[in-house]
Amino acid sequence: MTSYDDAEQIIFPAGAATQTSAAEAAKGEWDAVIVGGGMAGSIVAEQLSQAGYKVLILEAGPGKDLDLAEYESYLSRFYGAVVKDNQSPYPFNPNARMPRSTDTMPVHPDTPRDDFYLVQEDKYCTDTTFTRVLGGTSMHWEGKALRMLPEDFDLQTKYGQGLNWPLSYDDLEPYYRQAEAELGVAAEVEDQTYLGMHFPKGYVFPMHRMPPSYLDQTVARGVDGMRVNLADDDYTLQVRSFPQARNGVPNAAYDGGKGFVPVGAVSTSQAEEGERCQGNTNCVPICPVQAKYHAGKTLAKALRKGNVKIVTQAVASKVEINDLDRRVTGITIKNYHSLDSDSYETYTVKGTVYILCAHAIENARIMLASDMQRMSRSKLIGCNLMDHAYLLSWGLLPKPAGTMRGTTCTSGITDLRGGRFRVTQAGFGVDIHNDGWGWATGSPYTDLVELVDKRGLRGPELRRTLGDQISRQLLLAFMIDLLPDRSNTVTVDDRYKDAIGNLKPVVSLKIPPYTMRGAAFARKLATDIFEKLGAEDKTHYDEKSYSAVEYDGQWYNILGGNHLAGTHIMGTDPTNSVVDHTQQSWDHDNLYLVGPGSLPSIGTSNISLTMAALAFRSSIHIARYLRAAKAPVTVGS
Amino acid sequence: MIQTIEELREYLYKGLQLEHATLPPYLTALYSLHPGKNSDARHVIRVVAVEEMLHLTLVANVLNAVGGTPNLTKRGFVPNYPTRLPAGPDDFEVHLRPFSPEALATFLRIEKPAQAASEEDRFVPMDWATLGLTSNGSAPSPDELAELEESGTVLGLVPGDPTQRFSSIGEFYEEIIRGINHLEDQARKVGKTIFTGNPAHQVTPEYFYSGGGDVIKVTGRDTAVAALTLVAEQGEGLHGAIFDNQDEIAHYYRFQQLEMGKYYQKGDEPGDPSGPDLHVDWSAVYPVKPDIKLKHLEGDPEILAAAKEFNQSYAAFLTDINLAYNGQPDLLLKAVWEMFRIRDSMNRLIRNPLTGQSGENAGPTFELWPSKEETP
Repeated sequence: MTSYDDAEQIIFPAGAATQTSAAEAAKGEWDAVIVGGGMAGSIVAEQLSQAGYKVLILEAGPGKDLDLAEYESYLSRFYGAVVKDNQSPYPFNPNARMPRSTDTMPVHPDTPRDDFYLVQEDKYCTDTTFTRVLGGTSMHWEGKALRMLPEDFDLQTKYGQGLNWPLSYDDLEPYYRQAEAELGVAAEVEDQTYLGMHFPKGYVFPMHRMPPSYLDQTVARGVDGMRVNLADDDYTLQVRSFPQARNGVPNAAYDGGKGFVPVGAVSTSQAEEGERCQGNTNCVPICPVQAKYHAGKTLAKALRKGNVKIVTQAVASKVEINDLDRRVTGITIKNYHSLDSDSYETYTVKGTVYILCAHAIENARIMLASDMQRMSRSKLIGCNLMDHAYLLSWGLLPKPAGTMRGTTCTSGITDLRGGRFRVTQAGFGVDIHNDGWGWATGSPYTDLVELVDKRGLRGPELRRTLGDQISRQLLLAFMIDLLPDRSNTVTVDDRYKDAIGNLKPVVSLKIPPYTMRGAAFARKLATDIFEKLGAEDKTHYDEKSYSAVEYDGQWYNILGGNHLAGTHIMGTDPTNSVVDHTQQSWDHDNLYLVGPGSLPSIGTSNISLTMAALAFRSSIHIARYLRAAKAPVTVGS
Repeated sequence: MIQTIEELREYLYKGLQLEHATLPPYLTALYSLHPGKNSDARHVIRVVAVEEMLHLTLVANVLNAVGGTPNLTKRGFVPNYPTRLPAGPDDFEVHLRPFSPEALATFLRIEKPAQAASEEDRFVPMDWATLGLTSNGSAPSPDELAELEESGTVLGLVPGDPTQRFSSIGEFYEEIIRGINHLEDQARKVGKTIFTGNPAHQVTPEYFYSGGGDVIKVTGRDTAVAALTLVAEQGEGLHGAIFDNQDEIAHYYRFQQLEMGKYYQKGDEPGDPSGPDLHVDWSAVYPVKPDIKLKHLEGDPEILAAAKEFNQSYAAFLTDINLAYNGQPDLLLKAVWEMFRIRDSMNRLIRNPLTGQSGENAGPTFELWPSKEETP
């Protein structure tokens, strides 16, 4: 009768994240030990759970039940925060710190230890972040779920830039569909069929696209049909809807007409919230109703069978390796008692296979802190660090355009994601931000301060002016490709340790001319678009900022994209890569490195969907590995 | 007893009135909770309120299917609180008031399973003396009766015979299902059907969702009975069971969780929840003045203006919902942000203390059609 009839309620078992202590976990023998309870770790855990294996997840951050109360404690911390950055919902945790955009600055060994997590000694510092709580960076991501373009997989062959993947778009396509189901992606195939992206006949996304905002429609009136010439090719621009991992109206045609049941909020009791996006505009960092996917939704499924256990507040400090056969023999963890104290116990947990799913920077950090580079044939652990380079342009539209309505971003311009120009300059996607100038200027809070303190407005005039000003704000965010470069690195340095003695990641990321050529082009395009729309360009770049980059005599601010990737890239042999196409370590047989660190390039798509697709694909290989490893040995006579 | 299609439509209109009448008390209690506190209570009440809106939509679908015209904007559709609801031999008052043990007790009574012993016990004579409407227990004058029937002040009156009422809401729906079966049997004998409504007026799942079950498109007897059964079951549970046939906890048991301090989970017996603990903080509630009326706000002109504005926006909301039920279902999508506006303007009232009323706060009055003397 209805699609709900055979839908299973997803209930997070109460206490599941606290019922196993680190001490007990260390006594057990696990089939798989997963480091990191984020999107990749949860997907692998759920898939291995389905296959019947005993799985332990080690999570560095805090997290208890993933019930509504815990989620709402994050939400109320966010509401109360003065600076609403990506990490603002989460408590300060000196024992498993995370980078905060507000901490971005060059540091040196004498900088007070608590002032920063990411160690950056260069003049240019990225304000990129990732999140260390149960659920990982999916607890702050925006939810854009774009596929990579087919041409992104062989950039080197096609354009002589970057690296080729050991996989093609078609190899990954079925797993993209699996990831789109798991994350619950809302989009239309007809919108997403461009620049070679293709789908099997009859495929529809689980849910219909998010309705384009009024702001999108306003921008489209100026942009649609605009022509640009780039490297002798003409491109016609149009505003296009972005696929998003947030709950929209289910597509009745999904899965051969079976439809799709959106997964709303998870809790330890029937929550029944978040089955549809309500258009709140604070998707980043946290959706008030859990209409946006986060890894807790997958984790709740992984915990249903009882063969997956989680230990939180367990920071993986060392990968133990048998020097003779190079197999991993255990993961040593520091299990800290609370966020307020630096006391901890050390345990080593053991399994048949080990899977590092701690995100690009932490995966590299753990391996380097375990001195694994000495065994790496490629010496590429921590190299090829990538992140999208973001350039912002902001203007004031002539008329109110409904800014601050809808999700953070519903549409953008994607026509310059690919093309022959990539021989000489980076491709980019353009986001139309429904949340105004917040990212660039701190609006709306800064608007309020300006109107009250500088212009002395109050009462109805203040309300009217504030409303008028904010609803005319247009922010275009250009997400620019950054190619793999061996010299962009994560390393460790004994002089930098956190509160419980773990080495902090040292990051060095330079924005290369290839990317800056794209940035300069993007800036020019922004001014053309503003002109078309009659918008007053308010963009200004600060050359004194740590994000300042000079190119061709101009200064730009290049912001971090929180799309960290590439520290253990996949490739075709042990000398050119850290993992193979299944994300298995070339150098350690029973070690898999699953996550965006395996991406040999990131093109112009937000990395999560691709990372999730790869996690599904690798899960099959890991299960196959376990099956072989655990098969009874037949002794011949 | 339903004997004609017109009577059936009248009953279904009363069903709309009944389903809607629980929303103002639930919403008042919901938004009386201090922000950031009482998360368990907030979610329990919210889910029930959302499902009441589903019920409203399901009843509208049935009414549309039998060729009726939903009308949520008719004068008297929204009761003048307190309203009365039937509960077996007794009836009881439903107030607009803040979340409290008394409010919870009322919510439990609203949703309590109550099956009549037999079809004859379905109807109970009205006790006018207890109601205080007449001193000697005789029925009010026909004019007064007609007004009473129209106004929704006493819910569960038998349409066309307001000297009687239904013993429970469940029995009211049983009678509608009996009526549908009876009328459809008769119609089929002459090769006809009572399901003559415009299918384009059905609200389908793409326009409305609730966590607790899907909208059912009503096209005939089976879907009509399924829709009305869902309405009845989600309130009181399937034959008194905790879970309905969509594995949803029935409203009665949802509220009982707040009373017992524990959540139900699969496998539990009624009255013995074994799930996670939950916590209620009775003090983290704004002290909304119960059954507040515009006339109480004379001393607070700004609050009065806000209360009138709320009533207008609620009327506009009902108007939109009504259009949605009359062939423009996509207006339900627009209603999402209208509900945010309703929430915000309720909060504005609920969080403001009244002048000269020791410790009481304002609240929404839900007087959509106030007479001159009721409007200061």
